[in-house]
Amino acid sequence: MDHLAHVSNQPNTQPQSQISHLALDIGGSLIKLVYFCRYDDSCRDDDELRSQNESLGSKSDNSRPVLGGKLHFAKFETSKINDCLEFIHSMKLHLGGFHDCTAPSSDKIFIKATGGGAYKFADLFKEKLSVSLDKEDEMECLVTGANFLLKAVHQEAFTYLDGQKEFAQIDPNDLYPYLLVNIGSGVSMIKVDGDGKFERVSGTSLGGGTFWGLGRLLTKCKNFDELLELSHQGNNRVIDMLVGDIYGGTDYAKIGLSATTIASSFGKAISDNKELVDYKPEDISRSLLRMISNNIGQISYLNALRFGLKRIFFAGFFIRGHAYTMDTISVAVNFW
Amino acid sequence: MAGNSIHRSGSRPQLDLSKAEIQGNSEERDPTILLPNQTDDISHLALDIGGSLIKLVYFSRHEDQSVDDKRKKTVKERLGISNGNRRNFPVLGGRLHFVKFETSKLNECLDFISSKQLHRGGIDSHHWNSEASANENAVIKATGGGAYKFADLFKERLGVSIDKEDEMDCLVAGANFLLKAIRHEAFTHMEGHKEFVQIDHNDLFPYLLVNIGSGVSIIKVDGDGKFQRVSGTNVGGGTYWGLGRLLTKCNSFDELLELSQRGDNRTIDMLVGDIYGGMDYSKIGLSASTIASSFGKAISDKKELQDYRPEDISLSLLRMISYNIGQISYLNALRFGLKRIFFGGFFIRGHAYTMDTISFAVHFWSKGEAQAMFLRHEGFLGAVGAFMSYQKHGLDDLMVHHLVERFPMGAPYTGGKIHGPPLGDLNEKISWMEKFVLKGTEITAPVPMAPPGTTGLGGFEVPSSRGATLRSDASALNVGVLHLVPTLEVFPLLADPKMYEPNTIDLSDHKELEYWFTVLSGHLPDLVDKAVASEGGTDDAKRRGDAFARAFSAHLARLMEEPAAYGKLGLANLLELREECLREFQFLDAYRSIKQRENEASLAVLPDLLLELDHMDEETRLLTLIEGVLAANIFDWGSRACVDLYHKGTIIEIYRMSRNKMQRPWRVDDFDLFKERMLGSEGKKPRPHKRALLFVDNSGADIVLGMLPLARELLRRGTEVVLVANSLPALNDVTAMELPDIVAEAAKHCDVLRRAAEAGGLLVDAMNNNSLDGSRGNSSSVPLMVVENGCGSPCIDLRQVSSELAAAAKHADLVILEGMGRALHTNFNARFKCEALKLAMVKNQRLAEKLIKGKIYDCVCRYEPAT
Repeated sequence: MDHLAHVSNQPNTQPQSQISHLALDIGGSLIKLVYFCRYDDSCRDDDELRSQNESLGSKSDNSRPVLGGKLHFAKFETSKINDCLEFIHSMKLHLGGFHDCTAPSSDKIFIKATGGGAYKFADLFKEKLSVSLDKEDEMECLVTGANFLLKAVHQEAFTYLDGQKEFAQIDPNDLYPYLLVNIGSGVSMIKVDGDGKFERVSGTSLGGGTFWGLGRLLTKCKNFDELLELSHQGNNRVIDMLVGDIYGGTDYAKIGLSATTIASSFGKAISDNKELVDYKPEDISRSLLRMISNNIGQISYLNALRFGLKRIFFAGFFIRGHAYTMDTISVAVNFW
Repeated sequence: MAGNSIHRSGSRPQLDLSKAEIQGNSEERDPTILLPNQTDDISHLALDIGGSLIKLVYFSRHEDQSVDDKRKKTVKERLGISNGNRRNFPVLGGRLHFVKFETSKLNECLDFISSKQLHRGGIDSHHWNSEASANENAVIKATGGGAYKFADLFKERLGVSIDKEDEMDCLVAGANFLLKAIRHEAFTHMEGHKEFVQIDHNDLFPYLLVNIGSGVSIIKVDGDGKFQRVSGTNVGGGTYWGLGRLLTKCNSFDELLELSQRGDNRTIDMLVGDIYGGMDYSKIGLSASTIASSFGKAISDKKELQDYRPEDISLSLLRMISYNIGQISYLNALRFGLKRIFFGGFFIRGHAYTMDTISFAVHFWSKGEAQAMFLRHEGFLGAVGAFMSYQKHGLDDLMVHHLVERFPMGAPYTGGKIHGPPLGDLNEKISWMEKFVLKGTEITAPVPMAPPGTTGLGGFEVPSSRGATLRSDASALNVGVLHLVPTLEVFPLLADPKMYEPNTIDLSDHKELEYWFTVLSGHLPDLVDKAVASEGGTDDAKRRGDAFARAFSAHLARLMEEPAAYGKLGLANLLELREECLREFQFLDAYRSIKQRENEASLAVLPDLLLELDHMDEETRLLTLIEGVLAANIFDWGSRACVDLYHKGTIIEIYRMSRNKMQRPWRVDDFDLFKERMLGSEGKKPRPHKRALLFVDNSGADIVLGMLPLARELLRRGTEVVLVANSLPALNDVTAMELPDIVAEAAKHCDVLRRAAEAGGLLVDAMNNNSLDGSRGNSSSVPLMVVENGCGSPCIDLRQVSSELAAAAKHADLVILEGMGRALHTNFNARFKCEALKLAMVKNQRLAEKLIKGKIYDCVCRYEPAT
């Protein structure tokens, strides 16, 4: 969903100054900001969203008039929370945004926030920005967000297999139930049955955090994107033990495993006399990516199977529109 | 095919039976069968050659110890047991051995095979060895990747061909066999607590088998040979070791595993609490300590790889992988509606933390619905399966009761590692034990339980460090030799064999274990004295005695530390272990001379006792007889209190004193019930029992002045009597081999006994003499017989008794269990299909308190009608 840069809104009424224009998702590794910038005429573009605009925001906003304007998306690494605070401060987002310098006394200000950091950093926000964080349940926000986007944004969902991206038309009336797999630092798997009707059915600790954490330790990459980038040029066969490696290059046809199936991720690192420095970071990154994507795909599939769900939506910062990641997850789901 | 002399049958399958003929007189007991068309050399050996370990399973026949004693022959005639009983049982008695070698030390393995001539069918098959050595057709079944890789080497070094078996076939066949054949094969492991699970082999399928090797295979097993690989994951043991090697500087899998023991994954993993500021995310049931993201902390920290402790990395990896495997396995179990998941494969290695993590994951995701179980022989699934693939060896039909697992001692063991191959030779064993002590290794160190001819241990390279480092579990999950005794059977008179639990005292209560540890340790010096004396007190005997003491102490210490080391531990097992350990150091009968002395002394006063009894009225006599059994049961060398008594008086003095103290009511006193059954009430004469089985206990006064007179009374009433005694010596217990002589001696003074013994074939010589005289005497008596019980322990597990006892039980309607070992320590709670009388004097204060809320020397006379 990261590729969605801006969602515009039709002006309806005048802004109310007490409504915060900012919402936060403070995760284990990333802080995601969504903030609203009041509509100035130059921003007008997407007409098609007009009809759905009433569902924007958290549900408590339902009865309230919605401002016309632009929805901005920004993210920071959680470890650099100070940069984030700085950003909010400089933009005066916590005061209702740029144009609204007439905000009331700041101790009444609430910012909607979700993610574990909403609890963890509440004091910090109070201290630095003098705002209170109004904690929204993480899963609820996630599901609400997904439901909104899947319904509201044309071509929000797509499939990805063998490098081919294909948009899926989702009939808003036939959306439920589906499995929402949110891949953040860890992975949450949520069965969504309708608006506000959902259950976290599973999850795994092998997620984006694992990819980036292990990747950082194994390569000298400085950031997540660099690591992801590296994986493009990698060849996982150098490190992974394939079925063919075990069965002398042949398939284990009896049980339907082809020679190129990964039998054991990082399995070749066992027997070689090579040390860490002898492996190319590209290969490591690729191997890691496949391991984690595969695993997520498999567990998601097993959970979808369990509840008889045909649709699995993958989301979260780990994906980042990264082609290979999506491919691997798709392959895993297909395979199983 | 019948009989023991077919040296190539049994484990040697695929015999070409065409033109088979019985050689010689077919009336002979064990005629040799000639198999002229049998040419192929089929091995007793199967291999699983993996990437890091070679697992061997091989079969060795029991040496034919069966002394052809007259008792056995006649018992068989009497009870109608012919060798034909085993007719349908092509498996000969023998032992299944489990051995491991590191694949990198393949040559050691080849030497081992070669020295034992395993590829030729084992050294015990001299019969055909000479002719076979020229045979180049020998084929060994093998599985695992190395079966291909090393095929040429085997051909070159041993001249044998490797017949490659499918890995998954072997895995499943091995698991099925072990789960069916071994009583305590499967166990659960939660929070460091191990619990054995008894699996009804009729209710085994379907189950999920998760084999964790380099990768993970998840197999749904529906029956023998019926299975399907339904899933798997590429995140397995190879991932752990591969990533671990790259991230730490560990040189071996075990080193990495050991590191994890001291690790703290919180420094690397991102926990729910890290995200939620130390709080749980209770709404969705995630506690603060749940791992949100494995290695997630390595993201944001400024730390580099070298700033993390390898211990923490290892633990983090281990948790990530184990947890993931547990989860995927559970999801698959769910998918197919399976409740049981068995985990095996080299990744586990009996490592407590790994098992805990997997169990936790399964428990967590299934909300307790599904159960993760592990196998004691997990490393040997493939090898056992390959062995099974010889097929037609009849092992398929084996039942749990045919197998006895043993853990004898004796492999070179230093620095926490077994350095194989193990010691088969007694002398080596002893000198190794001596060295073990000289080196100053504390006696409490875990000791090799490797039996001769196998390592028996969890492997040569098992990390055996204990306690603080790797939990002792890793080395403790020992694998013993499986003794295959096809003649063992479940005692047919057990009311509910499935629910039967021999042990009365649960040793999983640590206090209880501690107590028995103290008792057995305290008794040890005296036992060693007796043992050494029994072998003439020579220097050699002394050396062996010392070695035995050390070995047994080490066994005890081992069990104190890890009670489930050899499977579920009961008092019966502990007492049997001691006897096994004595035999291991070739003390075949430590109490031989004592038993003899006491038998003679008791037999000398028997006529007086019988005379005394014969002057009593029926009722008094019956009471006196039961009193006599209880009083005579005081002669028990297994009891510390009684050993002390012996120093104070002669046998007869003690016996009389003991009998005089027999004040009714006894602590458990069903005598009146029993009396009514025997003598009837209000003039009604009850019908006598048809056949009584008397499980006897000690030699000397116990058998001669206690049980024999009772037997005599039963015989008089027209009840057939079968004396059931140990097959092998245990303490001063009388054995089945000794009984005929004792009975013969007693019969000299008693007509009833003489005639019954003759009728029972116990006095063969006398009988023969009589026949020669032409006067067979009065043979109208009911018979007195002797059968062996199939065991060599002071206790008895009625799930595994000799076939002759099982046959004798068929017509029995009364079972009398006598003595602490057989009536209290075991079988106190056992229920029988027929009437049962349990008689014992409690010669142990603690047991008295625990079992009958009484005191030492209290008596138990428990009579139970048939259920």
